[in-house]
Amino acid sequence: MPAPRTHAGAGETPAGGRPTALDAVAREAVDAAMARGADAADARVVRVSTERLALRNGAVAEASAPEEFGIGVRVFKDGAVGFAAAPGTHRTLPDVAPGVARRAFSVARDLAPLRRRPVRPAGAATAVGSYATPVEEDPFQVPLEEKLDLLRRADQGLGGRREIVSRFGLIDLRREEQWMATSEGGATHQVLVRSGGRIEAISSAGGVVERRSHPQALDGDFRSGGFEVVRSLGLVEEAERVRDEAIALCYAAPCPGGERTLILGGAQLALQIHESVGHPLELDRILGMERDLAGGSFASHARGDLDGELEYGSEHVTLVADSTLAGGLDTRGWDDDGVPSSRFDLVREGRLVASQSGRVSAGLAGQDASTACSRAEGWYAPAIDRITNVSLAPGAGSLDDLIATSEDGTIFADTVKTWSIDQERRNFQFTCEVAWEIRGGKRARLLRLPTYQGNSLDFWRSCDGVAGPEEWRPWGVVNCGKGNPMQIAEMSHGAAPARFRRVRMVGLGGGRGAS
Amino acid sequence: MGAAFPAKLRPAARARCGRRRPRAPRWEGTLALLEQDHAFEIADALISESDADETEVSIHCVEDRFVRFAADGPTQAADRERYALRVRARYSVPQDAGGGFREASASAGDLDEESAFAALDRASLLASLADPDPGAAPLGGSAPVEPTAPSRPTQDHTVREKGAWISAALDAAEEAELDASGLARSGVACAALVNSAGRRVFGATSRASFELSCADRGADAETLGGAAAGASVAPFVDQVSVDGTVADVVEAAVQSRAPEAFDPEPTDVVLAPAAVAALLTFAAGAGFGAREFSEGSSFLTGRVGDAVLDPRVTVRDDVTDARIRGLRFDGEGQPRERVSLVEGGVLGRPVTDRTWASRLGLPNTGHGAPQPSARGPLADALVMEARDRSVEELCADVGDGLFVRQLHYVNLIEPKELVLTGMTRGGTFRIEDGRVGAPVRNLRFTQSLVRALQDVIGVGDTALRQGSLMGQDVVVPALAVRGFAFTSA
Repeated sequence: MPAPRTHAGAGETPAGGRPTALDAVAREAVDAAMARGADAADARVVRVSTERLALRNGAVAEASAPEEFGIGVRVFKDGAVGFAAAPGTHRTLPDVAPGVARRAFSVARDLAPLRRRPVRPAGAATAVGSYATPVEEDPFQVPLEEKLDLLRRADQGLGGRREIVSRFGLIDLRREEQWMATSEGGATHQVLVRSGGRIEAISSAGGVVERRSHPQALDGDFRSGGFEVVRSLGLVEEAERVRDEAIALCYAAPCPGGERTLILGGAQLALQIHESVGHPLELDRILGMERDLAGGSFASHARGDLDGELEYGSEHVTLVADSTLAGGLDTRGWDDDGVPSSRFDLVREGRLVASQSGRVSAGLAGQDASTACSRAEGWYAPAIDRITNVSLAPGAGSLDDLIATSEDGTIFADTVKTWSIDQERRNFQFTCEVAWEIRGGKRARLLRLPTYQGNSLDFWRSCDGVAGPEEWRPWGVVNCGKGNPMQIAEMSHGAAPARFRRVRMVGLGGGRGAS
Repeated sequence: MGAAFPAKLRPAARARCGRRRPRAPRWEGTLALLEQDHAFEIADALISESDADETEVSIHCVEDRFVRFAADGPTQAADRERYALRVRARYSVPQDAGGGFREASASAGDLDEESAFAALDRASLLASLADPDPGAAPLGGSAPVEPTAPSRPTQDHTVREKGAWISAALDAAEEAELDASGLARSGVACAALVNSAGRRVFGATSRASFELSCADRGADAETLGGAAAGASVAPFVDQVSVDGTVADVVEAAVQSRAPEAFDPEPTDVVLAPAAVAALLTFAAGAGFGAREFSEGSSFLTGRVGDAVLDPRVTVRDDVTDARIRGLRFDGEGQPRERVSLVEGGVLGRPVTDRTWASRLGLPNTGHGAPQPSARGPLADALVMEARDRSVEELCADVGDGLFVRQLHYVNLIEPKELVLTGMTRGGTFRIEDGRVGAPVRNLRFTQSLVRALQDVIGVGDTALRQGSLMGQDVVVPALAVRGFAFTSA
């Protein structure tokens, strides 16, 4: 008897096959827009199936299996862009799609007189083909009992100490299937699967409340792939360590302030990359198209910053954008403009050389083609420029080597606790979950609330070492908010631990402000 | 959008039994919202077919139109609708096996019959495998809920009408040699919840907003140039002040040109309502909820009834406030209570839901998320009471300090004292001799909100609805605070 499961598992696509019905729906929507007089159009039919299982304090706090299915149509008309979207299913979408296309056309037509400079998408979306995430173990086929048992065992590891006031474990699985058609003849089909989770312990002792997470804070750690990703996270194996570190943090001294050498672990570096490299190098931000909410960027297109003129970091800093990265959350065949995925340097040995763009922003910037970084949340949102998988290239040696060659008083910190960065991505302040002070080339006392503050360019310029490939791994981000109205996107950031000199640590010992 | 499945559905007609009723034609391009009776019939059809001991069905429908714009005109614009049908299934556990319930939920993004029953099947499957919760009480039954309705002009507000708002902003900004950007948006939503214990609640809301940022041109505009932002947010589209927002933002952006450096240090400040909103939303997420209270991470823990904050600080959660007009029930259909969270500086009890009310022996205030959920109850309709000082009077009270129009990317460092960090944005000015003076460059702060609400110099006389980066709207006045901790530039 097959194990019970929440979703159809293999979804809409028979293994090795390619359905045509929803290809046709997307095509008909594009044709309907073009028949109205659109200059160009594209349509995406998207079906997203998710399964989330969470235990809080040993009880099932969340057991949900949402599904989203619908169509979004984008129309270019007289230099303006319009978008419309509606939900549907296999049965209803054929009837829904033409109306959605007409509404998208109306939006573009009505707004065209307001455009002071026409939108002309760069390049063309002519790709035809299929892409599927490599999956070893279909996450929706794994028995639910097995998933819950994994979470229960992790919960047991987190418990057993009175200082732990909250235990949490999560498994989160997602499968997105997308059929896209463009008026330039593009027709693509993608099946994107990602899996992940996390555990967390919150401790309270001596008037201090602390949190420790594994393998990553916030929503957890994720990679593209199947249930093999969840099995690799060590949710059970690391639970007791997480519990013990959460408790120890309550009794640890606050991290002192002052200028220090700082070594960041990969989990924290992923956020650092995300906020101070990923976002400022989105071309729509650079062009001012995001200024109304998220802000702009210190990088200037007009000033030539993207042509190698800007010293972004030290010679140890090479940052690679790669939507073909194995295990990356933004690893796919094509972006939501229908442009093929690619790998390219954003920062090469410290010099800024490129940005992340979609067809619209690249067109406005006078570029010939985009870098395939345009994505939308589901079927119901218009595509915007997005951070793809952006990684810090590994250097050499190990974390222990970095620590051993650092002076007394160096701080090794990891795992994001909180973060903030200004609207042009200059001034940031990040707090980690945990830190150790380095003494005699080794980790010494545990410290809580390690908080560092800086300027993005100064910070990357102060990097004097990145650990090697053996320490490098991608970290998944599943909560990237951008746009107005806000959309959520997912991407990965590969990193090995790295060292930064003369970093300003902010002392937060009093709990009522900074020192 | 697929038409919602027929109202008179009976088991024999169900798709999973091999028969389907013909679809009703869609009224294209118009209403996505369901009428109350239609929503209830869909829910009843699912509940009648559920084999769970308790079943709850909620339906949310949203119609949303927006035009986003930047200096060259509209950049993104959408006309869209979205549905969420959520099914919660519960199986009772015999008393000799510990009692309580096993439960789970599933949702569909469409009201199509097949999708809806598939969601029921998924919820039932998950619930049958979930661990029993011995403390889980039966679902609540019939509850009186005040009806709410959206505004028809808001529902009908077109993309073209939003274009007129945007034109006005672009023209005014261009005249002042500024780049404008922003969002014009209107939307309506309805929600229904029906459960097998007899609860049947329905409500509808609307929201309209015009958000505008103006800045000098170039990459460094918000650091070295003039920049300001403002917004008008209201339940109804005819309450949105476009002209007032444009005039205010353009004037402030011009005044904020050529900002000077300012040494970061504790400084007396006047925080405009947008800045206060950016801070107060963290009290909702990390302070006013029963879960944080119980875990000991809330600033309320151990202090209920204590006069902790300045006596001029009064905060309540109130969806009936005319500036909010929210749904009158929570994620389990429980009526939302008006909750006094801080009264004259004295801390009140946290907001609760059914689960946490039971655990803590408190009344259920109706602030729960759809269940089961890892999230605790949330005070998401905060209203801070205005007092008696105009912004000009607050500046006079401060004497020498800073006037902060907006805060950006605020985040929580430490929950017990609500230590927050973030940046000033969109116009920061010196207050010199009691008046707003020269602009200064943006600053980072690292400040306890609890401390700030203790060190109050004065509270503004007008509370305004404000949005926030993370999405929650609050109603707040301006606030003057002593020794606000700016920590870097």
